[in-house]
Amino acid sequence: MVKFINISAIVAIISLALTGSAMAHKVNLFAYAEGGKIYTESYFPDGKFVEGGRIMVYDSQNKLLLEGVTDTQGLFSFPIPKVDDLTIVIDATMGHKNSFKLQKSDVGAGR
Amino acid sequence: MLSVAIVTAMVLAANPALAHFGTITPSDDIVTQDDNKTLNLQIKFIHPFEGHYMEMARPEKFGVMHSGKTTDLRGSLKAVKGKGADQSEEFTFWSADYQIKRPGDYTFFVEPEPYWEPAEDVFIIHYTKVCVNALGLEQGWDQPVGLETEIVPMTRPYGLWSGNLFTGQVLLKGKPVPYAEVEVEYLNASPGNSTLVAPPSDPYVTQVVKADLNGVFSYAMPKAGWWGFAALNEADRKMKQNGVDKAIEIGAVFWVNTLDMK
Repeated sequence: MVKFINISAIVAIISLALTGSAMAHKVNLFAYAEGGKIYTESYFPDGKFVEGGRIMVYDSQNKLLLEGVTDTQGLFSFPIPKVDDLTIVIDATMGHKNSFKLQKSDVGAGR
Repeated sequence: MLSVAIVTAMVLAANPALAHFGTITPSDDIVTQDDNKTLNLQIKFIHPFEGHYMEMARPEKFGVMHSGKTTDLRGSLKAVKGKGADQSEEFTFWSADYQIKRPGDYTFFVEPEPYWEPAEDVFIIHYTKVCVNALGLEQGWDQPVGLETEIVPMTRPYGLWSGNLFTGQVLLKGKPVPYAEVEVEYLNASPGNSTLVAPPSDPYVTQVVKADLNGVFSYAMPKAGWWGFAALNEADRKMKQNGVDKAIEIGAVFWVNTLDMK
């Protein structure tokens, strides 16, 4: 019984620590279309690059169009897959996740 | 003796030493991905607490610093007329639109034309700044622009609650100003301030704090809205008014916005 309480307390502390860390290091993604490509930049608020983050690109029907991984500068680019409202998701480790909506008009303008 | 006292009182009542403030107020100070990316900035020369406008000539300089790069925005300035609630005459102020394109901090700055203030027998130049954060990247706010005098924030100047302490450093020609005097005023016309604050007496209008030996000052902001900090120094040069050399008050002004925690 004592052992069980200890374990749940430890789990609670770890969960709190993880939540706190996610808040302090909120991940961000910024994207723009230019010259037929879409460029993404993934960063933490202090400017640190998100290295090796997973990128997923969805269309307006929430269909996954492509996936990729950010480089050492937090960058990932790809040819415009479709002129549509795109949702670009960055998934860093430890539950750091965010998304960016790139409007159809911006995608079209960058062709 | 009595008459001197009465006259003094009358002069004080008729011409209270109102604090002048250069202002830049942006339509938004934290731009997120769902927000309008076109900012409107209003540039004025006012008494912020009383809401009194003064005539403002086209600024000498208006620009923005982002990612360490400065861009001249003077061409985007448009003259607008406005006045305080109890002013009968309208005065010129300036308005500009700016398109946010990239993440990061945008420090907007204005260097106005010298303003001749006969009541104080000086020219006034307020180098005024405000910082807008965009798209989650909190980088740039602590960098000086390189103005003749400026306040460099030591508190991140956005995302502040009312009650927070704002700390800044006063620079003159890039060097800290020991014991600089800083005037602090609340912009009574802040968006979201539904009831104007009425000062119980004059000292409540302009708060005064002094910087320490390193030019660092702090002030805790008691209400939601825009707060202006003006560090005043005398320039080491003069300007002529009707052929006579006059002193120049150079102010380093910084504006921050606070919200109530609720």
